[in-house]
Amino acid sequence: MDQVVLERTIAVIGALIVGASALTSLAGEWKKTGLDDQVSKVMLGLLTVGCVIVILAATGVVGKV
Amino acid sequence: MASEALLSEDALYSEIRGQRLLGFLLFLISDCILFSSFIFAYLYMRSSVAVWPPPGVGKADLYVAAVNSIVLFGSGATMHYAIEGFKHGKRGRFLGFMIATIVLGSLFLSGQAYEYSHLAQLKTTWPGSTYGASFFTLTGMHGFHVFVGVVFLIIVLLQTLRGTYDRHRYFGLTAATLYWHFVDVIWVALFFLLYVY
Repeated sequence: MDQVVLERTIAVIGALIVGASALTSLAGEWKKTGLDDQVSKVMLGLLTVGCVIVILAATGVVGKV
Repeated sequence: MASEALLSEDALYSEIRGQRLLGFLLFLISDCILFSSFIFAYLYMRSSVAVWPPPGVGKADLYVAAVNSIVLFGSGATMHYAIEGFKHGKRGRFLGFMIATIVLGSLFLSGQAYEYSHLAQLKTTWPGSTYGASFFTLTGMHGFHVFVGVVFLIIVLLQTLRGTYDRHRYFGLTAATLYWHFVDVIWVALFFLLYVY
């Protein structure tokens, strides 16, 4: 398999897995009210955004090669 | 009498924990300001030229960076599972995910080293261009934070194995988790600005 195709495939599959994990964790944290829990929620939300950016980049929707 | 003493000790710990948490969050905010300054400098340099990267300068590979980003983001997820495992008294789960986080963090640093060697082959260097200078400064500073984070995680893991923390008192673990998430989130911004935008 072409190296670029392999990299893109790994990036998309990895981003789907990590994004789903981050969203599940965010749902689990949702009802917690401590300051560290609130910060964790923001961080997990941004982590999900990061996964979306990686999927868009790996599928060629955004970014220049 | 003994229960009253225990209660006041818990109240004291709760207050100390709150102060430590606030102090640690202030540290993260100051670090955020540091990165913001460098990001602003990068955007200023980038907007002052018509073509970016400047002609003749080799660009970092988007797909290698995407894979490396997923390695780092994955470590954020494993770190979350590690601390949740600790909170619920699942020691095996905590150890497994903690070690996975350390391995993934180290893999990210290896990926960054590979990327640097690739850029060196393309003659993109720190003093060679504004692109190289800003790219290596931002990713190098972030890489240093990841390295510090890996050391932080190893220390916290060793402390846990020695019994420093229990299910009710584990601020070191909380701080390590917040720091690791912070390092992840900074990379979201850097990945977008340096590779995608």
